[in-house]
Amino acid sequence: MSLRAMHSGTGHSPISALALLIVTLLYLGLMLSVAPEALARLLWFALYPIVMAPVAGEDYGHIFCRSLVVLPFVLLIGIFNPIYQTEPAFTVSGVIVSRGWVTFVSIVVRTLLSVQALLILVDSVGFVGLCQSLHRIGVPSVLTTQLMMVYRYMTVLLQESLDMTRARQARGYRGGSMSLSMWGSYCGQLFLRTVARSERVHRAMLARGFDGVIPVLKENKTWSGRDTAAVIVIASIFILFRWGPLPALFALG
Amino acid sequence: MSHHFIEFDNVYFSYPGGHEALRGVSFRITHGEKVALLGLNGSGKSTILLHTNGLLLPTRGTVNVGGIPVTRRTAPEVRRSVGMVFQNPDDQLFMPTVEEDVAFGPLNMGLEIEEVRRRVADALQRVGAEDLKQRAPFQLSGGQKKAVALATVLSMEPDIMVMDEPTAELDLRARRRVADIISRFNHSCLIATHDMDLARELCPRAILVADGYVTADGPTPEIIKLFTSVI
Repeated sequence: MSLRAMHSGTGHSPISALALLIVTLLYLGLMLSVAPEALARLLWFALYPIVMAPVAGEDYGHIFCRSLVVLPFVLLIGIFNPIYQTEPAFTVSGVIVSRGWVTFVSIVVRTLLSVQALLILVDSVGFVGLCQSLHRIGVPSVLTTQLMMVYRYMTVLLQESLDMTRARQARGYRGGSMSLSMWGSYCGQLFLRTVARSERVHRAMLARGFDGVIPVLKENKTWSGRDTAAVIVIASIFILFRWGPLPALFALG
Repeated sequence: MSHHFIEFDNVYFSYPGGHEALRGVSFRITHGEKVALLGLNGSGKSTILLHTNGLLLPTRGTVNVGGIPVTRRTAPEVRRSVGMVFQNPDDQLFMPTVEEDVAFGPLNMGLEIEEVRRRVADALQRVGAEDLKQRAPFQLSGGQKKAVALATVLSMEPDIMVMDEPTAELDLRARRRVADIISRFNHSCLIATHDMDLARELCPRAILVADGYVTADGPTPEIIKLFTSVI
């Protein structure tokens, strides 16, 4: 996704940014409240990103692949569960599956679903739209402005990093990767250059009247009756997933 | 603000590291004057410019813009009237699209959206960048970035314009365009530049700065002759 699209969003969301934020928060709250061992119930929540992604103009496969970026971290966190939780949970074709493996899979699934829901939200409404919506639900402007500044200065960091890498490549006749000592110098210089650049950018913002809140030219769609209906319907579905009498998606026993 | 003048009165300034960048700088630029600020690298030109809108404040002495002494409290008001074009356009372009960047200043001034859009269109038209409206600033060429950076200040319709090396790294065509824009700006203008031709063409008066001092102030041809004789 291009930087500009990430900032502004695809604009395909059928509901307003605020409504989508509320739906996403409800989804995360209810999905994460499912008991760790209730895998069958948890998997019903997977329907949301699968259905919502194309509605919001995204390809679910692409969203799924992007969500895998967190897999190494969640595997590292969850891998201790099978080691310490060895009591049996159920049997599959005579093979005993321990509680640790069930909670491990639960952690992985929850994390992936959470990331997918957030990707759909940010891709649909854009980062600026997300910050505006957070402000509208009561998040203090100092926090939302900080978020936008972090987002903005990430690109500054990337640009400085690119400049330094190019300069190094232009003078790196031997090729190959950097030595450890060079990495330290590289990171230190990158930090200093980014700070200096950020200060200059901040000065330019102050010179044009910046007062701590980043003004936005395009306001989000205002709340409509369709948003109310959508939130009610989707919330009802989530409640059904969470507490309703749903058949198990797969048989365990 | 009733008069578009800039007045430095015995201004001293030291950076936090201890380097004294300005030493007793005094001058006055009256309404409609276009003045070139000349000097070698590190002479204090940029530091002077940063004082005109309160981004830096003197350690001693006063800066007065349009009758308002520039202090931390008055800086926001002063910045509504003083438009500053920075040397590096990458420092000045920080929004995702050109349109949003040019709109940044007018939005901060609290103008209505329709008025903001009008000013954005007008500013982009003046710098010849109307077709760049939806482009990302980081994708533009150097000349385009400079033009858009200028537009971000023009959209605020400032009473006074200060510019730091406005023609640096520009090709002939882009340089010509910037010079045309400056020549049509009817208010006070202070331009720090190494471009002697630009200074001669646009600024009847020049101030020579060296080591934080104002060493000469007068008609541009004479100041340039003096400058070139001592370097």
